[in-house]
Amino acid sequence: MSPVIPVGPYHPALEEPYKIELHCDGEAVRSADITVGFNFRAIEWLAERKNYTQDLALVERVCGICSNVHTLTFSRALEQLAGIDVPLRAQHIRVVVHEAERLHSHLLWAGIAAEVIGFQTLFMTCFSLREKVMDLLEAVSGNRVNYAMNKPGGVNRDIVDPAMVTATARHISAVMTRDLIPVFTTDRTVRARCAGVGVLTRQEALAWGALGPVARASGLPQDIRKSAPYEIYDRLDFEVPVRSEGDVLARIVVRALEIVESCRIIEQAVEGMPSGPIDAGDFLPVPAGEACARIEGPRGEAFYYVASDGSDVPVRVRIRTPTFQNMPTVALMVREQTLAGVPLIQASIDPCYSCTDR
Amino acid sequence: MGPDEILARLGVTEQWEVRGDGRWVYAPGMDVRAMARLMLEIEVRWVTLTVSPAAEGGFRLLYHWDLDGSLLTIAVSVPGTRAETVSDICPAADWAEREARDYYALEFAGRKGMPTLMLRPEDDPGLFSRTSELGRHEDPADSARLDGGGDAQ
Repeated sequence: MSPVIPVGPYHPALEEPYKIELHCDGEAVRSADITVGFNFRAIEWLAERKNYTQDLALVERVCGICSNVHTLTFSRALEQLAGIDVPLRAQHIRVVVHEAERLHSHLLWAGIAAEVIGFQTLFMTCFSLREKVMDLLEAVSGNRVNYAMNKPGGVNRDIVDPAMVTATARHISAVMTRDLIPVFTTDRTVRARCAGVGVLTRQEALAWGALGPVARASGLPQDIRKSAPYEIYDRLDFEVPVRSEGDVLARIVVRALEIVESCRIIEQAVEGMPSGPIDAGDFLPVPAGEACARIEGPRGEAFYYVASDGSDVPVRVRIRTPTFQNMPTVALMVREQTLAGVPLIQASIDPCYSCTDR
Repeated sequence: MGPDEILARLGVTEQWEVRGDGRWVYAPGMDVRAMARLMLEIEVRWVTLTVSPAAEGGFRLLYHWDLDGSLLTIAVSVPGTRAETVSDICPAADWAEREARDYYALEFAGRKGMPTLMLRPEDDPGLFSRTSELGRHEDPADSARLDGGGDAQ
């Protein structure tokens, strides 16, 4: 009988609580079972009992990293229901914050990956760069984590110092291009730990509905900023990095290149920002009906479904987060890998259990 | 393959409703397993499954798919508490089906196993259905109510 090694729900190798049971043959992992739900808060249930204003604050707490994703997607679902057009300036601001959050998320993840790899200097560099993004988000929103920027019909605050935003984006792009991308792509330590490790094939990614950088690192060029553009993405010039290897290194490279693309997007969004209002006015009452909304979060597509009966409380709210789709693919990635590789492989999807468990 | 051809291949006679959030169709008699097989064959990406209690009883199931960026929502109805699984064909649906059982005690016929996802193994399925009236008319976070009305310290 092969030994079963339980990791988690609370373990130094895990960022958040979940459990992975590894069925091993010596040092080799043969299969894995994943258990989630340790953070379950029944947020969909709660959202169906609170009014739309309360729900906006509630969904921002789905995740501590991509909180803006949730208010943006929820707001867009309500805008679809109510037929609200968001002013152009507000769309620019939304894109700036959306991409800054992607920078924050990817740099946080890159730092954690560097730490798991055992590359402490790289970890320090990533986190010092991430600090610049946190400062940017704080300067724009007043908050470092839950920014409370979005509301149905627009945003709550204007960008008062656009030059600071542009300068930060340029600085991050320069450091990424000059220092971090070469290290992440060519350093022997990184390559030894990541190349050919934890492969998810293109067909597996498709069958399991993988999203975001996980899918793009397995050769699926899906990014709804391109395929179903929202806000002003159809007016912006940016690339969607795609790799075909499907391994941990490919996931690192995709995210690293996405950081540079996000900086390009922020620069364009700030420089092209028109004058005008930043919200369309009161969004209430929300008419009866149902609507879906999707946005491309740092970890992949976030999906919201909202059904309204015309009252101030939704009758159904469905939230599908990207890690909810990506997490099951870890069981495929760890097969026939070494036990020592599991912490890095599971981290390579940039998992968020707060998002998953909702 | 375009959205109209998908419906034709599935034998659905209803037409897509084109909306700002994609295409929607209500296809009550559709074979969901044939849908899953076709979508996987033509590389239409699984988005998720939304389950809602239906006013007339049973459940309404919305299958959401991504066709080259276009969101396709296919609605079917389930009169009781038993639907057909698609997770053996499209493994991306596995967690969504398990979650639907956790929340609404909806069973999916044809699955080899149906472990809880968000709930603990010993919990009864159907958390949302069991608690459907709880918190509707009062603040569910009211600590005084949760404490049985005693003085909150």
